[in-house]
Amino acid sequence: MLLRKILVTGAAASLLLLPGCAGSAKDAASGGGGKGSGGGDGMVPVLNLPAEVDASVGSLVNYNPYSAKPATMTWLYEPLMMQNSLDCKVAPWLATAYKWEGSDKLVFTIRKGVKFADGSELTAKDVAFTFNLTKKYPAMDTAAVWNDTFGAHATSVTAQGDSVVFQFSGPAVPKFQGIIAQKIVSEKQYGSVGDPTKYIDKQPNGTGPFKVGSFNGRRLELVRRTDYWQAKKIKVSKLVLEGQPDATQALLQLRSGKLDFYSGEIPNPRKAFVSSDPKLNHVWYAPNGITALAPNLKKAPFDDVKFREAMAYGINKQDATLKATYNMMHVASQSGLVMPLRESMLPEPYTAENTTLPFDLAKAGQLLDAAGYKKGADGFRTNKDGSPLTIKFAVQAGWIDYEAMADSITAGFRKLGLNVKQVKSPPDSVDLQKKTGQFDMMINFVGSGCDYANGLGASLETAQFPTKSEVKGNVERFSDPAVDQAVKALQGSTDQAAVKENVGVLAKTMMTEYPVMPILYAPARGIYRTDKAVGWPTEKDPYANPQDAILLIMTHLKSAK
Amino acid sequence: MKYFLRKIGFFLLTLWAVITLNFLIPRLQPGDPAELMVQKLAGKDAQLNLAQVRAMRAMLGTPHGSLWSQYWEYMGHLAHGDFGLSYTYFPYKVTDVIGQGLWWTLVLVACTQILSFVIGVMLGAYAAWRRNSRFDSIVTLGSTFVGTLQPFWIALLLLYVFAYSLGWFPTSGGYSQSTPGWNLGFLYDAVSHAALPAVALMIVTPIGWILGMRNTMIMNLGEDYIRLAKAKGLPDRTVALRYAARNALLPSVTGFALALGGLLGGAILVETAFDYPGLGRLMGEAVANKDYPLLQTLMLLTTTGVLIANLIADLLYGVLDPRARRAER
Repeated sequence: MLLRKILVTGAAASLLLLPGCAGSAKDAASGGGGKGSGGGDGMVPVLNLPAEVDASVGSLVNYNPYSAKPATMTWLYEPLMMQNSLDCKVAPWLATAYKWEGSDKLVFTIRKGVKFADGSELTAKDVAFTFNLTKKYPAMDTAAVWNDTFGAHATSVTAQGDSVVFQFSGPAVPKFQGIIAQKIVSEKQYGSVGDPTKYIDKQPNGTGPFKVGSFNGRRLELVRRTDYWQAKKIKVSKLVLEGQPDATQALLQLRSGKLDFYSGEIPNPRKAFVSSDPKLNHVWYAPNGITALAPNLKKAPFDDVKFREAMAYGINKQDATLKATYNMMHVASQSGLVMPLRESMLPEPYTAENTTLPFDLAKAGQLLDAAGYKKGADGFRTNKDGSPLTIKFAVQAGWIDYEAMADSITAGFRKLGLNVKQVKSPPDSVDLQKKTGQFDMMINFVGSGCDYANGLGASLETAQFPTKSEVKGNVERFSDPAVDQAVKALQGSTDQAAVKENVGVLAKTMMTEYPVMPILYAPARGIYRTDKAVGWPTEKDPYANPQDAILLIMTHLKSAK
Repeated sequence: MKYFLRKIGFFLLTLWAVITLNFLIPRLQPGDPAELMVQKLAGKDAQLNLAQVRAMRAMLGTPHGSLWSQYWEYMGHLAHGDFGLSYTYFPYKVTDVIGQGLWWTLVLVACTQILSFVIGVMLGAYAAWRRNSRFDSIVTLGSTFVGTLQPFWIALLLLYVFAYSLGWFPTSGGYSQSTPGWNLGFLYDAVSHAALPAVALMIVTPIGWILGMRNTMIMNLGEDYIRLAKAKGLPDRTVALRYAARNALLPSVTGFALALGGLLGGAILVETAFDYPGLGRLMGEAVANKDYPLLQTLMLLTTTGVLIANLIADLLYGVLDPRARRAER
């Protein structure tokens, strides 16, 4: 989960939103064919991607991966390793291997033969330097190595030969995803710049597959490095990043070939994009976590587990999925785990099949009747004591898929006799309600990646209640000592059997306590063309999450010819 | 003297109020800039990463402490001309960011404003001179109708027709392929990108000038000195231009000074629609990102612009027209 979030910082930025321009058409046209140039079976002359940042402000360029808006987060500086959030496999990158020695000591083996753009060699010292820099400047510590945010803080990070050793003051397993995602900079360049987050990096010196060709304040051209450590795998000679198109512009650009890949939200992409040329136009949405209905458990009647169970059966998840994602995604399992990918993590007697609750109004109605929520004269159900029961549904205005889900849920609940009223407000103010706890129910994201402690665990752990100043995962404010114990154990455990047992506690809690009601798997979107390059991840070959692993994807692309 | 002191005192008081509102308004909105930036990068279907939020907060040095202490800090920095670092373009200074956008807006908006003024005044004067002619009714009625349209709406319409459907103009940005500088390629690039936003602004802005000029001119045409000029047998053109129009122009000139002060306001939506790299779009971006330093500086720039234009107009009136001073007593 953490890895994803950090990688997303770069990749998703490139794939998200905002207006772009027509400029790249000429390049695309002129470079259409595969000019073979030593890379094996033909090179891709150029690929057009959306800009990772809004680059409209002229010469204010900064390639520093630790600035608020690096001109590119993906192509110049590289992480230690990459975890595929779909199958949880860890791909070696600048580090070839890692090993936990206990839950408080982590050792990476650093790859040999990796060169920075200036020709100097990457060593374990550069890696240790990067992490020690994050100690000196907490603003750069996006992996929380030196504080107790995800597990215990580090006491030292040292280079020992080809290895880098992290020593922590206690169990720190959840820090792994953040650490492997941290971008490694060279001591030579960043050793003398003072506070790195305030350093304007105009001559980037990274280990990445591309280097800056030209930038005119708007259009960033990156050219392939022939001395890249896995140059053999990079078949794209030039990347053009220009503009951040919004959905409408992106659709037009994708259809005309001015854009080769996009990860933003295009409504009904199969109809709008794929159907116009099914041979070249493709779309694959991977499950990226869970979108769930979160009631406020501090309020009646949501503090009643029977009421929540009825809610779970009263959501028409199939209908919500159809309307919110045009059936691009699947109905989510109540277990809080992505099925069938994580079926092996479920305890007896649960299966992928029986954890996906059907839409059953009759059952939901019986549950409500039995629990004492009787229908009043006006056809609406009342509280147990007979007082009127109204539910304010906080909806993020402008997030069209959330709005569609909310409409479907509201319709179902009203059929049950629940008086639901939607209150639409900007996502910011819904976040504020998360902090203050002043809401009845809302739609919320539940992390469901490879780090169970900070994914599903964070949505259930008592310590993760949002505070006045911070939005945290446990928006619904669920609290159970057994769950807290399991999350704690997950944070300190590297043993697979123990992980499964503790994840089982979380899944069982989801199935019996209904703290939140999963609706559908949130999408990681991949919308792409195959006229220039092929090898994108697909449902049949899900080697990477399309939204946050574009660097990994780049090593799989090759010429379409 | 008392008149001038009072005007200057009033100016300072308003300026203080503006600065204070500038400080307060962004902070009254819900949301945290650091959370917002991290969430934006991650996308909405992602869990907020606390480690990143904490790092981001440490980086931006986002406001903490009581509102009161923040206010004093803010006033202190302002007094030293320190506008801070933009959150969105961190670690660039707010002044650098504004410096980048300023030229685009100045050229686009100043050109359209001046053109609008010239065209509007000329049309208005001619309509007044040919009062009740067909030309007059078309201009007057047309203006009243077009004046009700929103520039933003017009911008979207232009985008759809000329950029998407016909493909004559680029859809967004200030330039694309060329390198900024004094070369033909860039100028062509910049002009083709500026064309649609300029048209979007030009359709509505002349309206005010047309109607204002027409009305003052009609009033002046009824004055005795016009009748005298006509009686002397001067040619129509001389009477219209040198006698009537010249006098009718005076109030419009004052209005023009004020309009220049507030020119940014009208450009925000149009620049946002075209993603034009000027101050208006920056302002939109600053609001969306809760970029307090950038937002405050831009608002300060616009509001003080209007205030100063007002002050100059007030002072000039005091000098030029003794009646203004007397009326204040």
